[in-house]
Amino acid sequence: MSTTSMSTTSLHLPATAVDRFAAVPKPDRYLCGFLIGLSLLALALGIAYGVAMALARSGILAPGPDTGYRVLTLHGTTAFFYWLYTAQAATVLLLAAAERKGALVLRGLAWSGAIVIGAGFVLSELVAITGTPLLYDANPELGSEDPGTVAGMTGGYLLLAAGFAMIAVSSIATILATRRHADGGLSALGFGLLAWAGFLIVSAIAAVNAFLPGLLWGLGLGAFPHAATTDWHILFHNLHYLPLMATVLIWYALTQDLTGISPVTGPAFSKLVFASYLVFVPPTSLYHMFLEPTLPEAMRVAGSLLSLFVSVPTLIAFLIIVASLEAYARAGGKSGVLGRLRQLPWDNPAMANMGVAILTMLIGLVFAFVLIQEKLAALLSDTMFVPGYFHFFAVGTVTQTFIAMLTLAVPAISGRPLWRPRLLSVMPWVVLAGLLLFGAGGIGAGFLGVPRRIIDIGYDGAAPAVWRPFMAMVGAGGVLFASALAVSVFGVLRSLVPARRGRAAPREPRPRPAIRPDAPAAAWTGPVAVVLLVAAMYGATIGAFELMQSLPVTASGGGAH
Amino acid sequence: MKQEFILLLVVVFVWLALALVYAVVPGLNMPGYIRVWGIGAVVFLVLAVVLYRAARRQRKQT
Repeated sequence: MSTTSMSTTSLHLPATAVDRFAAVPKPDRYLCGFLIGLSLLALALGIAYGVAMALARSGILAPGPDTGYRVLTLHGTTAFFYWLYTAQAATVLLLAAAERKGALVLRGLAWSGAIVIGAGFVLSELVAITGTPLLYDANPELGSEDPGTVAGMTGGYLLLAAGFAMIAVSSIATILATRRHADGGLSALGFGLLAWAGFLIVSAIAAVNAFLPGLLWGLGLGAFPHAATTDWHILFHNLHYLPLMATVLIWYALTQDLTGISPVTGPAFSKLVFASYLVFVPPTSLYHMFLEPTLPEAMRVAGSLLSLFVSVPTLIAFLIIVASLEAYARAGGKSGVLGRLRQLPWDNPAMANMGVAILTMLIGLVFAFVLIQEKLAALLSDTMFVPGYFHFFAVGTVTQTFIAMLTLAVPAISGRPLWRPRLLSVMPWVVLAGLLLFGAGGIGAGFLGVPRRIIDIGYDGAAPAVWRPFMAMVGAGGVLFASALAVSVFGVLRSLVPARRGRAAPREPRPRPAIRPDAPAAAWTGPVAVVLLVAAMYGATIGAFELMQSLPVTASGGGAH
Repeated sequence: MKQEFILLLVVVFVWLALALVYAVVPGLNMPGYIRVWGIGAVVFLVLAVVLYRAARRQRKQT
């Protein structure tokens, strides 16, 4: 990596976040505001279902089996699909319009996509509330006696996919209409948005591949979808990568907005990193199939080797962002790690959200690496280990990143200052505390074999007593991070409502410290963090192997993770 | 622009190669993988061509 040292000649003071989003014309602001509102509604509902689930898993609530699985289905459907994908739809449109510094191209198509997503959301919620709980993957085998519910769940997801594909097409058309550099090329962010929008379209195709057979069967127009599990794996793999790609693109944009610094590696290298996401997506998809008994042994070996590359693009993007932030902090003239950290604008909620997103990504990667080992996948995939580590990514990395962008974009869209920024800049750290508690409980419970798809794990008093304290940590941590996240959601939603008395100036980030453009800067934090991360990955994997061999665990996988 | 075009073509090549592996290797009975990665390769090929033509058009106008 060439990020270990650089000069700060790339430092400049470009447009701020407010400038970036304020250039979006009013009709497009309404569209983005609609999508942002819809996504936050989905997140709020997802949080409520999640709290109910955390309380049930910790034994505080005792729902009947049907209610428990219904809430689990609603939580996954609402938070994983409708929050994450509606937020992505809003983000790709907003960043594309900001990149063009003008109107969206194919605005009508984008509006149609937004309405179709809304229709999908209503359909999915209604069916999940009233029908057989199919879990969030709309598993047709669970609905073999209830084809109507299978049709409703798959139909809702297909509407979501159609909606975000339409929005992706509008985004691509908008990016292609931007003013080019002298060589006809796009900016690094423009190219990243183009690649991301293309990937959204491919993921919509993967959704059609996964859900259309279920819809046809549910409507009595086709055979039972026996390949549903395999087809779900392909979609699920894309659904892992898409929010991470969105995350690094937002980091890339916000780093400039928050610090006024261009990424230190330059646009050509950034474009390479964005494209590498797409290069690494298909070859690394095999590890989702490790639990399938029909997968040939050669493919298991190939899948194990290829899975080592799964986090390469994210780590490189992490290096660029951290090195850029460090260059900014060093250029402010402070010495020492703490002194430089204090240089960053932590009183801006977006910076706090982004800081927590970066930390949780590092923690999540350590345990993700443990899970994708072929020998451990079979033991851990159906245990609480999965929700334990997965929420570091879903709530920490991805959701905190989207919230970071919204805290900057929403005031520019609505013209209303951000609601209680000081309070909102504390919330990400409370989320982190809750996630650490939740994650420690869930991962510990997973190693002890606590199943993740069984709501009542008491087994009529036969369950090991050691399970209970770990599950209590899951409940307490879940409630803690959900409460803090709910405050953030309220704050952004409150700021989305336009001010009654004209447009108020949105709050700008605090003044930037004086930058010495001639100061050389050696940014070691990123490379050192990656070395420590790789060591932690291997340490955790070795520790997990040792622990699993020493425990009388008999958990075995039986489906997708 | 040239770099962007080449990067997208690399993506097309990798996705197409994976789709072909799933299509021709005996024992890999996963038609869904062929469909998604194959159609995905076509999507990025179309994107590469559109990007190239848009850049050329804009250069002619300026």
